[in-house]
Amino acid sequence: MKRFPWWLPGLALVFSLSADAQAAPEPASDASRVQELEERVRILERKLEIQEEDTTAKKKEAAVVTASDKGFALSSADKNFELRLRGVLQADGRFGFDDDDGTFNDKFLLRRVRPIIEGTLYKNYGFRITPDFGNGSAVVQDAYVEANFLPEVKLRAGKFKGPVGLERLQSATDIRFVERGFPTNLVPNRDVGLQVSGDLFGNTLAYAVGVFNGASDGGSNDEDISDSKDFEGRVFATPLRNHFGPFQNLGFGFASTYGDTNGSGDLGKYKTPGQQTFFSYRSSSTPTAANTTVADGPRYRLAPQANWYYRQFGLLGEYVLSSQKVRLDAASKTLGNQAWQIAGSWILTGEENSYKGVTPSSPFSIANGTWGAWELTARYGQLTVDEDAFPIFADPDKSASEADSWGLGLNWYLNRNVRLEANYEQTYFDGGRKDGTDRDDEQAFLTRLQLGW
Amino acid sequence: MSSSRRRIRVSWRSAAFVALVLAASLAAARPAACETTLLNVSYDPTRELYQDYNLAFAKYWKQKTGEDVTIQQSHGGSGKQARSVIDGLEADVVTLALAYDVDVLYQKGNLIPKNWQSQFANNSAPYTSTIVFLVRAGNPKAIRDWDDLVKPGVSVITPNPKTSGGARWNYLAAWAWARRRYGNDDAAREFLTKLYGNTPVLDSGARGSTTTFVERGIGDVLLAWENEAFLASKELGDGKLEIVVPSVSILAEPSVAVVEKVAQRHGTATVAREYLQYLYSPEGQEIAARHYYRPRSPEVAAKYASQFPKLDLVTIDGEFGGWEKAQTTHFADGALFDQMYAPGK
Repeated sequence: MKRFPWWLPGLALVFSLSADAQAAPEPASDASRVQELEERVRILERKLEIQEEDTTAKKKEAAVVTASDKGFALSSADKNFELRLRGVLQADGRFGFDDDDGTFNDKFLLRRVRPIIEGTLYKNYGFRITPDFGNGSAVVQDAYVEANFLPEVKLRAGKFKGPVGLERLQSATDIRFVERGFPTNLVPNRDVGLQVSGDLFGNTLAYAVGVFNGASDGGSNDEDISDSKDFEGRVFATPLRNHFGPFQNLGFGFASTYGDTNGSGDLGKYKTPGQQTFFSYRSSSTPTAANTTVADGPRYRLAPQANWYYRQFGLLGEYVLSSQKVRLDAASKTLGNQAWQIAGSWILTGEENSYKGVTPSSPFSIANGTWGAWELTARYGQLTVDEDAFPIFADPDKSASEADSWGLGLNWYLNRNVRLEANYEQTYFDGGRKDGTDRDDEQAFLTRLQLGW
Repeated sequence: MSSSRRRIRVSWRSAAFVALVLAASLAAARPAACETTLLNVSYDPTRELYQDYNLAFAKYWKQKTGEDVTIQQSHGGSGKQARSVIDGLEADVVTLALAYDVDVLYQKGNLIPKNWQSQFANNSAPYTSTIVFLVRAGNPKAIRDWDDLVKPGVSVITPNPKTSGGARWNYLAAWAWARRRYGNDDAAREFLTKLYGNTPVLDSGARGSTTTFVERGIGDVLLAWENEAFLASKELGDGKLEIVVPSVSILAEPSVAVVEKVAQRHGTATVAREYLQYLYSPEGQEIAARHYYRPRSPEVAAKYASQFPKLDLVTIDGEFGGWEKAQTTHFADGALFDQMYAPGK
């Protein structure tokens, strides 16, 4: 009989123990691996959390650079400091029809080339510097600082548009015709001075009062030849601004200037929509008391004005009376020149009309088959010179006593920044010719490609 | 035109000019303050302290002067906070983790006088603290002293010394122990390199590290401000965390200063000085002690003696030659910490 191996149970025991020993670490190893992995995940999540906190904190401090249809800007995270770069570029083509006396030169020109540098400091203090390189010259159009203490009280000092003409105050990129109408001939352009302005009663009443060196009709001024200053003021109401309805954007106002000017021969020249001078006071390249009309006393302007915008429709009207005492040699007279215009516009493509321009709902894109916004415009205006200006203070052989003008226009807004314009303007004159007859009508076709941001 | 008429004409124009300027000046005139506001820019873990302290000071100030004062707080890593003030954060006072971070307001911002430390007692450090270890309940990794932090498998939580004042105290305490233990700076550097090799996450401030350890459950040991360790233990509940006191630590002296340039501009210099001075008052010292900061007042310190463990403390001046030297040697860009710690290594 075979004997049961005595060593077999022992061997079995050894194998069994060995197997147990190998099997036992498995659960502990899995558990610790899971724990380790969980710890790693927690660490990664925490690192991500810290990274996000750092990014958020940095964003709060980081300067912000933006580029949009409103221009280019660099600002602090809290917007208390900002530098904005904008600009206007207008390339015009002007052509006269039936120009028998050759007064209208057909030409291309750069009407405005304006880089605009604006900024904000400490949230409430702003500045603007606008040089202009158009028309082959270099001038500073605007250079001012402004303190915005409250919406109701803003203080501005420097060179800027005086608070007078409604169309003059409209931005050059927002006017609906290539050139502003007759009333703008009689109001000051830019002048150097100090102004307090603000918006009251829920932005329904805007006011501005200022004191300036005093600019001539249609003119700009950089310095003063006398101690006298011009006071200018304007109030403009949009009483239904905060109520929806057809008259929400109805505005009306009144502006006035008063000053006392003595000795200046800069009395302004009046121009047609085609920018031809049709009236000027007597002057000479070698001015004397006998050959140059000069200012000789009080000057004031009265300018009622209004506008109305309702959906696609827009209407702008203003009247200006400019009164100035003048002198030539021993003769002296107070002359009152007047101008008015009424201008309408209709957005054919249905966009909202406004004083501050038109934004196409769909910018022009061949790929998308969209055409931007189209606008039809029309206006009529008149400028009448005081008959007492002739013949002493103005030469009737060279200056017309009245100009009447009508115009039609078509504007194509490719997008918020680019516009093509075409106007036809016809102007009739009373007088202005050597034989006492009327100066030839001006028939002007004006075009413009505008880039503004 | 007669000269008398001309004089009259000049006169009313001048009056009109003056009226316009006066109107603008009145519009710009600031209304007289009937309530004062202070901004206290502080380091990370002092939120609870200043919450209580500010209430106490406002009550004291009202009783003393009849004026209302509101204190706004900003908290963050001490170094980061100092940089923010230099960059324009309008702090009336700073209460930071270490004198060096206050001193940079003079060095780099000219916002405080050179002798700012002499403006208040005890070198403008109204309370002190130190660095201890906070471990999980039961101390599963048996952490007793600094050398246990570099054992394999031990995960250490400490903030970033580049941004956090508390982190710099942690680092220097570890260095001091290592130099004593191993005898030289090279060995200390090796020790610190291993320690930061065991650090998975660097928060920007001490409070962030507490969040990482206590709320996120990351790490085996938190190198913490003593007050932070007590607060965390108390908030989490008894038995969840333990405080381990190392054999050597460092006397941390959080410093305070009035940001004179800002306070003068705000018209708050007087109340700002009183605000910091009140930290030294019996009530101020009591509030500090209740929040586990070691008070300077001997009377209050005696009252809370049992709350604070006894430690062998080194000082920044004695061990490291002062903050200027310590900052240049260890924490400046490219200095020892940058050489020994690389994220992701």
